[in-house]
Amino acid sequence: MEVYHRPCDEVGFNAEEAHNVVKECVDAVLGGEDYNQNNINQWTASIVEQSLAHLVKMGKAYKYIVTCAVAQRSAYGFHTASSCFWDTTSDGTCTVRWENRTMNCIVNIFAIAIVL
Amino acid sequence: MSIYAQILRERLRESFHDVQYVEPPFDDSIADIGKEWKSALAKLKFANSYRMEPLKKFQAHSVETKIQQILKESLKDVKYDDKAFSHLSLDLADRVLAAVKEFGYHRYKFIIKVLFIQKTGQAINIASRWIWDVAWDSWVQAQHETESYLALVLVFALY
Repeated sequence: MEVYHRPCDEVGFNAEEAHNVVKECVDAVLGGEDYNQNNINQWTASIVEQSLAHLVKMGKAYKYIVTCAVAQRSAYGFHTASSCFWDTTSDGTCTVRWENRTMNCIVNIFAIAIVL
Repeated sequence: MSIYAQILRERLRESFHDVQYVEPPFDDSIADIGKEWKSALAKLKFANSYRMEPLKKFQAHSVETKIQQILKESLKDVKYDDKAFSHLSLDLADRVLAAVKEFGYHRYKFIIKVLFIQKTGQAINIASRWIWDVAWDSWVQAQHETESYLALVLVFALY
């Protein structure tokens, strides 16, 4: 019985590409904006949804989870950690930290391969 | 490694962005180990199990109670401390992962996210979206609030 090799999954998750995609999304939504309580819900939702849409458009056989935390820029402490149990050869993660004068934004992408 | 750093530097503009952590690992040897093992495994012929569904579906409620309990135990009377919390967040993430694995959901992959936010009167907004198989994949959230900080744990389970 032949083992079917899918060429794209041999290299695992392409974090570089995902990073570019997410950075563009965040720039488009938050670029040049100041922190605004009224819009913040809408911004976080659109960052996450647009990132997800672009990731899916890349056409790879992956399940994606995108998490975004946007906070007002002030003196505060923030720690985040992730622990993952998956197949390290095919699954991967990418974190993009973006900030401007009034906001800090952290976007996490987790990609799990769909083994067909 | 240096080319990567150069590319990162080129991207710094007025709005700063930073790639904190990227997979695959910078040290290629670690990635290769997995691939060697995988190709060795491919030489062994396993019979197909033809199992498309998990044996035991992920039950969110029991995992949620367990995680809430872990949070409460680890963070009882813990005050916010900059240095200690960066280790504590990793430690807590590992502990939660071990606890979730103990439930014995076979062939499931888990992602644990732990967030600690200091309460200083600033606003923070956290959103997640996903693309997965709604029949088998699910997520759980637990939080622990104290006077000085808020701890949030997110667990995602994917088949």
